[in-house]
Amino acid sequence: MPEENISFTDLIASSIHDMKNSLNMQISALEKIAIQCRQNGDTPTFEKLGIMIYEANRMNANLIQLLSLYKLGKSIYPIDISEQSVREVIDEAILQDKSIMDFKGISLEVECDESCYWYFDRDLLAGVLINALNTAYKYTSDKIRVTARIDGGVLEIRVEDNGQGYPPSMLRNDSVTANKGINFSSGSTGLGFYFSSRVAVMHKNGANQGSLIIENGGAYGGGCFVVRLP
Amino acid sequence: MTIPLKQSHILIVDDFQGMRTMLREFVKAMGVTKIDTASTSKEAINLLSANKYDVVICDYNLGPGQNGQQILEEAKLRKFIGYSTIWIMVTAEKTMDMVMGAAETKPDDYLLKPINEAMLEGRLEKLIAKKQSLSDIEKAVNAQDYLAAIASCDQLMKTQPANLQDLLRIKSDLLLMVGDYDTAKALFDKILAVRSVPWARTGVGKIYFHTNEYLHAKEIFQEVLEENPMYMEASDWLSKTLDALGDREQAQQVLQKAMELSPNSPVRQKSLAEAAYKNGDLDIAQTAYEKTIKLSEHSVHKSPTAFSGLAKVHNDKGVPEEALKVLERGKVEFKDNTEAALQAAVLESMAYQKMGQKDKAEAAIAAAEKLVGSLAGKVSADVTMDMAKSLFQMGEKDKACGLLQSVVKNNHENAEIISLVSAVFQGEQLGEEGENLIKESKQEVININNQGVVLAREGKFEEAVKLLRSAVQTLPNSEVMIMNLCGMLIGLMKKQGKDDRLMYETKNLLGRVREFNPANKKYFEYLNVLNQIKATK
Repeated sequence: MPEENISFTDLIASSIHDMKNSLNMQISALEKIAIQCRQNGDTPTFEKLGIMIYEANRMNANLIQLLSLYKLGKSIYPIDISEQSVREVIDEAILQDKSIMDFKGISLEVECDESCYWYFDRDLLAGVLINALNTAYKYTSDKIRVTARIDGGVLEIRVEDNGQGYPPSMLRNDSVTANKGINFSSGSTGLGFYFSSRVAVMHKNGANQGSLIIENGGAYGGGCFVVRLP
Repeated sequence: MTIPLKQSHILIVDDFQGMRTMLREFVKAMGVTKIDTASTSKEAINLLSANKYDVVICDYNLGPGQNGQQILEEAKLRKFIGYSTIWIMVTAEKTMDMVMGAAETKPDDYLLKPINEAMLEGRLEKLIAKKQSLSDIEKAVNAQDYLAAIASCDQLMKTQPANLQDLLRIKSDLLLMVGDYDTAKALFDKILAVRSVPWARTGVGKIYFHTNEYLHAKEIFQEVLEENPMYMEASDWLSKTLDALGDREQAQQVLQKAMELSPNSPVRQKSLAEAAYKNGDLDIAQTAYEKTIKLSEHSVHKSPTAFSGLAKVHNDKGVPEEALKVLERGKVEFKDNTEAALQAAVLESMAYQKMGQKDKAEAAIAAAEKLVGSLAGKVSADVTMDMAKSLFQMGEKDKACGLLQSVVKNNHENAEIISLVSAVFQGEQLGEEGENLIKESKQEVININNQGVVLAREGKFEEAVKLLRSAVQTLPNSEVMIMNLCGMLIGLMKKQGKDDRLMYETKNLLGRVREFNPANKKYFEYLNVLNQIKATK
């Protein structure tokens, strides 16, 4: 291919495509080995594998967030806001993280009506939920709860855990501060939060726009990741 | 698909060995036993042509050659897969071309990597259930019985409220297709009263377009795009509307903007090329034609008019040598296509004239004339006009005028084509003579039609049919004439009762009209009447 025909977008897209193939296989193979370990009663290895799968999942989530952000920045992301089943998106996000939750012995509870439908970009919201679950996984003791309901023309999805709560530096209740909190020293680049609030803000209905709130409390008194979409 | 997942025949297409194995293991674990895999598009097409699959799980990005979308398009066009086949596209990322692609060739679902077994199984079960619930509608659509399809939608909305959104969308498309704009408008308004949904607003714009309220349509499409800059469907319609309003410069600008967002759609590239050519913007036309050719290389959208279009650009730019090269390439691509050969011959004659090689130009036009004969006159207005231009340059004025008259007769109610014909006459300094010829030709067709109408009014449908049949024979491309003949045939059947041969003839004629003008307003009206006649005993 002549050089001038290569677009940077295509280049990262195809690299990410390739990396995701590898990750997909890696995760699937690790899951298989983990199941074998559990059957053989090799608990220490089983638990170590859980961590590896979690990290691989995180890498995958980061890749897709980076690519989406790049495309959103260049206004070439194919945003597709249409009516979707909220329950389905939550269930699928959980399925992606189910094996790591099992490894850590985390119980997951979902509270969302089957008939709950709302307007959003399915893939972007799935990315937000996976990020929320990954974060909750890190902070929880052993419980995570996902709730969704529509109230006053706004869909509110909450991901709550029963851990110690988020450290003060991560809390944000001023909702639209998408640029806050990139902290390289804490190991959290804030990519997930940045991505999530960008996605929330992109969802508009008339004069209202979506928001992301990070707070402590909720049903379990731990961390709460709250997305509101009009 | 009416069979359960376990009994389904599944094809997996992925160029990556590891992914193939993984996906195969996933479906195996679900209890599926009939599984085939393909690693290239060629293998996939071979398997698809030889087997009837219930489910196809296909990677989008397959390396060189066709991508997943192009395989899907080819499989659908060649009828390797039917409406009951579930096609899942697997991809690492969502792209504009996936979301905004042509609606009729969209896969049933997209799966973003990473995929695990539970997720795949969940989606498959859901898709099977959905296919099953929509099968009545699809069957009716396939049988072109659109009114029955709409009735099915209404029925399902009552029994399956979970699919309401899909059903509303399908129903609104069907209503637009059959031209029931009042019901469609009411449906869109109801949706829009709750929320500004882009597809519903675009739907309202389409109604204005179809009822020739172009200014209203333009306003709506612009508003949709302001709210959703990436809603390509609205952008396509906006450019169409601007073209209808005669604002070609803006139409081109809208297409150019769309192209930045969705550069890999050959259909859109070709629209841009054509718009730019009309505007005399030869550089943009050239680039867009070149991209069209490149993008449609492995696609069913491959079209000879992209090659002839590019050749025209080269001719106009004064580099006929390049035009000849492009035409040579086109000839290789479309060896058995008579129409393509004709287009090439006409443009060759023009190129050779530019190069001062009279003998070769004459030989090419002679070849073109022969090809017209073998096509029984079914030649597009564009090619015929090009041929006339070439003949004028060779001093064959009578032949050229004859061709232009046939264009007028075949399109006597089409203001755009008539104005193009008149422009050709003016280009040859034959303005006045041309206008007279156009007027004469138009009148000739109008007279035949009037005669037909008088006969029909007197109830003499048989005679009317006879008259129009012979007219259609000499004017095989006249949409108006063919539709009038259909009207007479329907009148005859209403008078005499159902007749299989007449039914067949009418359906064929309607099919032909649909080929050159998918938006013909009477098409669905007549089709529905035919279905009603068919239902009588």
